[in-house]
Amino acid sequence: MTKLITVEALDFVYPDGTPALFDINLENETEEFIAFIGQNGSGKTTLSKCMNGLLKPTKGRIIVDDLDTRQRGIIKQLVTKVGYVFQNPDHQLFNRSVWAEIAYGPNNIGLSQSEVKERVIEAAQVAGVHDDVFDTHPYFLDKGLRQRVAIASILALRPKTIIVDEPTTGQDVRQSIEVMNFLKRLRDEEGHTIIIITHEMRIVADYAERTVVLGQGRKLLDGPTREVFSQPEILKQTFVEPPQITQLGQALVEEGLPHDALSVEEMKAAFKKNSAE
Amino acid sequence: MDPAIVFRDLQWRYEHRKNFALKGINLEIGKNDFIGVVGPNEHGKTTLVSAISGLIPHSYNGIYKGSIEVFGKKVFDSDALELATNVGIVFSDPESQFTAMTVEEELAFGLENMGFELAKIRERIEWAAEITLIQDLLDKSPYDISGGQKQRVAIACVLAMDPPIIIMDEPTSMIDPLGKNLIFEILRRLKEASEHTLIVVEHNVEQLAPLADKMLLMYEGLVDRYLPTKEFFADPSYLQARGVLAPESTEFVQWLIAEKALPASIDLPLDLAGGIEATHQALQRRSSS
Repeated sequence: MTKLITVEALDFVYPDGTPALFDINLENETEEFIAFIGQNGSGKTTLSKCMNGLLKPTKGRIIVDDLDTRQRGIIKQLVTKVGYVFQNPDHQLFNRSVWAEIAYGPNNIGLSQSEVKERVIEAAQVAGVHDDVFDTHPYFLDKGLRQRVAIASILALRPKTIIVDEPTTGQDVRQSIEVMNFLKRLRDEEGHTIIIITHEMRIVADYAERTVVLGQGRKLLDGPTREVFSQPEILKQTFVEPPQITQLGQALVEEGLPHDALSVEEMKAAFKKNSAE
Repeated sequence: MDPAIVFRDLQWRYEHRKNFALKGINLEIGKNDFIGVVGPNEHGKTTLVSAISGLIPHSYNGIYKGSIEVFGKKVFDSDALELATNVGIVFSDPESQFTAMTVEEELAFGLENMGFELAKIRERIEWAAEITLIQDLLDKSPYDISGGQKQRVAIACVLAMDPPIIIMDEPTSMIDPLGKNLIFEILRRLKEASEHTLIVVEHNVEQLAPLADKMLLMYEGLVDRYLPTKEFFADPSYLQARGVLAPESTEFVQWLIAEKALPASIDLPLDLAGGIEATHQALQRRSSS
């Protein structure tokens, strides 16, 4: 495991004086799957934008692969290290064709035309964007595919860390599973570190091994998802509830059920084991 | 009692689409029932509710066969005033329906158009603002408030018109957990008052199920299942195959019944409290046997 991003004693205050983050310390390594959770306004998106250099720390510092994000003129290097996919792909897509959209980043960092072509083809393939839509205007694609084009345009820069803001909002159960399995494959097969920002606790329980909880600009918890969901009192401070099945176990701990089951399947196994004893 | 809404073999195909979005809907919705509508995207949920509100066929082009009656009158033959009087609809993107400079003007807009007197307008606005917890937002611009507040304003606009049928199409899909809880609190109040027929399209089954009298599954343009909520969730694997998850408590207790840890006669719980109670019973039964 190699360290990718180190956030040290980060404070962030918006230019209008609104404080957004206080004393955040955080590290991420290669091949992690992390969830950022917490109520709106807790600082999840601000922290993500600090991590990819879009926002500069007011105090403290962020080191990405030995680069300090406060340095001038390093944005071209940063975009190849940390990618950020907007919640609404339409806020990010602006080119007239899928090809131009995916090629935009590689062109901008000054790669040769043959390298750009190679990157686009590779990124499109990984993201499941087929070549028959390369000439299509992104707005004519359905939302799931627009999101994959948005992800492909980030992948083309080959960042080790990819932050995806609310990947499942407005999606149904099957679409959510599809996009989450895709992100999991990017981690498992391509070695990316994935950070999702989400309000869906069942998604967190199913996919994220590590969860960072933010509340009012502070980091409240950071650890394995199972341990994080075992602390409902702290989660409550930022209006997060563990998945329903986790809460069911927590209410019946004295009767022998686990306080940290993450799925109905785990609870079934625990009930059976408990019966056998 | 006469039903509020009756579908008779309703079929609808949007212009320029190959397939029918609704492929023959037969359905009765009772007066003052709370109906939860679920199903995968693109399987007809929004089209179904648009047909009740009259947006289909009056605002879209396409092919319309069969009929829907709202309070005994065919939607196809109704004019805009009749439709607006009978059915109010809230979308997932509330901003798309705002036109005024303040929340209060927004609330008054529909009522002024209907020709109500000023005193009546005031009374309706006060009532709608109270239920939706937006009293302190009335003088704000509807664009300067949070996503959750915007959605509550959109609901208040519909309530102010006091239509007997209220439809909400994914009202919580764009807002955060705290905002979601407030929307479900409004739905709980409306259900308790039992003065409206409520039709709510939602992916958030865990919060919807405890409120709904009946659940309706739209699948491939048809009503695949339409049952009282407890019966609807009695077969989680059937629903899962159609992309619908039962509340986790319900799914777990259903498994306890299948494992004979609980008798089949128990009341299937739809929320966490019910799930805890039923699981507690299962643990008790086991330790006493």
